[in-house]
Amino acid sequence: MSDHFSGPRALADPAADLTDLYAFPAPDNPRRLVVVMDVFGKAGPGAVFSDAAIYRFRFRRASIAATGPGAAFGVDPDEVQFDFTFDLPSGDNTALQRGHCRIPGGDIVSFSTNDERGATGRGVRVFAGQRSEPFFLDVHTILQSAETRKLAFKKVGSDTLYGTNVLSIVLEIEWAELLGGGPIFAIVCETLRAGTQPVRIERLGRPEIKNVSMSFKTFDQVNRDLEIRDLYNSEDAFALIPDYVGAYRARLNANLSFWDSLDGKTDWPLDEHGNHPLTRLLLADFLVIDTSKPFQDTSYFGIEQAMLSGRPHVSPGGRWLNEDVMDSIFTLYINGGHGPRISDGIDAPIAWSSKVFPYLAPPNPPKVKAS
Amino acid sequence: MMAALHPKQTIMASDANVAVLTHGTIALRNLEAQIEGLDPSSTAGFPRIEERVWLVDLLALRGSILGSIADYERALQLAHQLVGDGTTEAAAFLGRARTRAVFHRFKDALDDLDMAEGLAADTDVVNLERAAVFQGLGRYEDAGAILEDYAHRRPSFESLGALTTLCAERGDTERAERLHAKSVHLYRGVSPLPLAALDFQLGVMWMHAGQLDRAQNHLIAALRNVPAYVPAQGHLAEVEAALCHFDLAIALLIPLATASDDPDYAAQLARIYADAGYPDDSQYWRSRAAARYEELIAVHPEAFADHAAEFWLAAGADTGRALSLARMNLEVRKTPRAHALLSLAIAADEAASAQSLSHPQTSQTATSAANERSIQ
Repeated sequence: MSDHFSGPRALADPAADLTDLYAFPAPDNPRRLVVVMDVFGKAGPGAVFSDAAIYRFRFRRASIAATGPGAAFGVDPDEVQFDFTFDLPSGDNTALQRGHCRIPGGDIVSFSTNDERGATGRGVRVFAGQRSEPFFLDVHTILQSAETRKLAFKKVGSDTLYGTNVLSIVLEIEWAELLGGGPIFAIVCETLRAGTQPVRIERLGRPEIKNVSMSFKTFDQVNRDLEIRDLYNSEDAFALIPDYVGAYRARLNANLSFWDSLDGKTDWPLDEHGNHPLTRLLLADFLVIDTSKPFQDTSYFGIEQAMLSGRPHVSPGGRWLNEDVMDSIFTLYINGGHGPRISDGIDAPIAWSSKVFPYLAPPNPPKVKAS
Repeated sequence: MMAALHPKQTIMASDANVAVLTHGTIALRNLEAQIEGLDPSSTAGFPRIEERVWLVDLLALRGSILGSIADYERALQLAHQLVGDGTTEAAAFLGRARTRAVFHRFKDALDDLDMAEGLAADTDVVNLERAAVFQGLGRYEDAGAILEDYAHRRPSFESLGALTTLCAERGDTERAERLHAKSVHLYRGVSPLPLAALDFQLGVMWMHAGQLDRAQNHLIAALRNVPAYVPAQGHLAEVEAALCHFDLAIALLIPLATASDDPDYAAQLARIYADAGYPDDSQYWRSRAAARYEELIAVHPEAFADHAAEFWLAAGADTGRALSLARMNLEVRKTPRAHALLSLAIAADEAASAQSLSHPQTSQTATSAANERSIQ
C-alpha cells in the first residue's frame, strides 16, 4: 500500500506560511518601533521555525504623494532589511532553537526561541517563539456573506482561531538609528527559501488582502478562473510586475464592490475606468506607519483614510496586535466609515496581547475549548 | 547508521542556485504540529470543512512518510465523518476520494469524484484526482491523457511530478527521469517532503527495473531529505538484500519491523533471514507478518491483497493463499504488476501441487501448517 502515490501535492512548509504582520510604536517608548511577523497558523505544541527559510522584514521610507481620490504613497527605492534565520532544534523533543537576526550593517543578534526576555543588540531587541494567536475572526460568516451576497455576521460570532497558536517573530528597533530618516515607513515581511539566490515564498503587508479582498473569484468578470494568490505572493510588494497589475486590479475592484454592496448603498463609487477608490491604496500592499505619532489601540488604515479625505493624519497607522482589524476592514469596505462600525460578532481573541515586550500572550495549552 | 547518509540537504534548483530545504526532522515535526493543531480534539473550536479535509490529507501524508496504517485508517474515518455530517461541499468528497483510493477502493473513489463534480468542484481538480485513481486501476492511458494535458497547460512542480509518478509506475524509466529533473527545477518551496516522495517513486521504479544502483541512489536521496521516511528505508533494505548485503538490509529493517504497523517490513525480514540462513529469526518475523496480514486482509482486503500475496508467495510459503489474494488483487486493479503477480502465484501453486503429488507427506505437513496459520 505504501508504494502508491499520485504525485506531489503543493505541500507548502507551514513554518514558511505567513499569517499576519503587525507594526506599532512601542507603547512605552516612541523612539522604538515594533514589528511582528506570524507564521504557522494553528501550530501544534511542537512547531518550530524552518532552518531553510529566511524570515525577512523590509522597511522603506515613505511619504504622502497625493491625497483625495487619487491618494497614493511615495516609497523610496532604498530599503533596510532584518533577516531572521533558525538552526535545527537542539534535541529531538524540544522546541528550543537558536535564532539569528542579521541587522543592518551585518551585525548578528543571536537568541534562543521562547525566551520572553528576548535578546538585544545595537538598537534592537528580538524575540521568536510560539505565542497565542492574536488575530480573531469568523471565517464561516465571511464565506457565507460571499455565498449569499448578504451580510451574514451574527451578534455573537464564532472565532475560527479561538485558542490556537502561531510562531511569532518580534523585532523592536530604534527607528531613527536603524532605519534612517522617517518618520513614515512602509513595511512588509517575507519568507524566502535560503540559498545562493533566495527565492521569495510569501510576502505580507496589509491584513486580509489575499483572502477577504482577493480570494473570491465569483465577482471578477475579467479573471473568473484565475487563482491569483500564488502569483501575487511571488511578487515584490514594492515593485509589482506591470504585466499582472491589471489582473490584481480587476480582482480587487470586483471584490471591493461586492463588499460595498452589502449594506444596500454605494459608499465607494467606481471611477470612469471602473476602479474602486481603495484599489490603488490596497495594491500598495504594505503597512504604513508614522513613527512620529504616539501609540493608538485602533490605527489600521488611519493614515490612508486621512489621505482619502484630504486631511492630515493623527493616527500612527500600522496595526496594533489587539485591534479588531476585521471590524475595521469591514467598516471600511462596507460603509467607508460613513455609518456605524460593522462587527463580525468576534470582539476579542482568547488572550489579549500586553503592552510589554514580547507583547503577544503566551501560547495556549492544548485542548482549550471555545465556550 | 543512517546519519552518514544525511549531510545538510540541498537540491540543485539550477546550476547557479543551490537551494536549501527544511531539515527532514523539522519537516516531520512540523507535520505532527500541523496535525495536532487541526485535530478536532485539540484547540480549535469550530473547524471549517476546508480544515477538516486538510487534516485528512495531512494524516494520509504522515501515513505515507511513516508507513503508518493507523494514520491512513484515521484519515479514512475522518473523511467518512466529514461526508456523513451531511456536507454539500465538494472538498469533503474530494478528500474522501483520496483516502478511499489509498485503500484501493477505486470505484468508491470515482463515485466520490462524481459527487464532487456535481457540487461544482473545479474541473481540473476533479480530473487530476481521477487520473490518480485511473493510475491505481492500471488505466494508464486514461490517467496519462489527463496528466499530459494538464502539465502542458500548467507546467509546474506538481503537474510534472504527477506525470513523473505515472511514468515511473508504467516503467517508462528514462522519461520519468527527465520529467523528474524538470519537476525539481520548478520547485520553489522549502519542504523536503514532496521531493523525497518523488525520489522514493523513482527508487521503486528502478528497483522493479532491476537497476539496483540507480534505485539505491534515489532511495538514499529520499532518506537524505527525510531521514524518517519509513517506506524509503524499507525499499532500500530490499535493494541491499538483492545486492546480498544482508547485514545492512537487516539493520535497516529491524527498527521498521519493530515499530511499524505495516507488516511489509516483518515480511521482508522473514525472507531475508531465510535467505541469509537464519531460520529461527525468519520464523519469528514470518509469524508476526502473517498475523498482521490476516488482520489487515480482514478489514481492508483490496488494499493489502497485493502485498499479502507477495508475502505468502515468499516467506509465507502458502501458495494457495497467495493465489486467492493475487486473484482478488487483479479484480481490483488490472495493472501489469497485478497480472505478473497472478502469473507468479499460479506458477507457484502449480509447482506446489506437483510437489504434493510426488511428495504427499511433505506437502500435507505444509498445508496443515498453512491452514493452522490461516485459522490463527
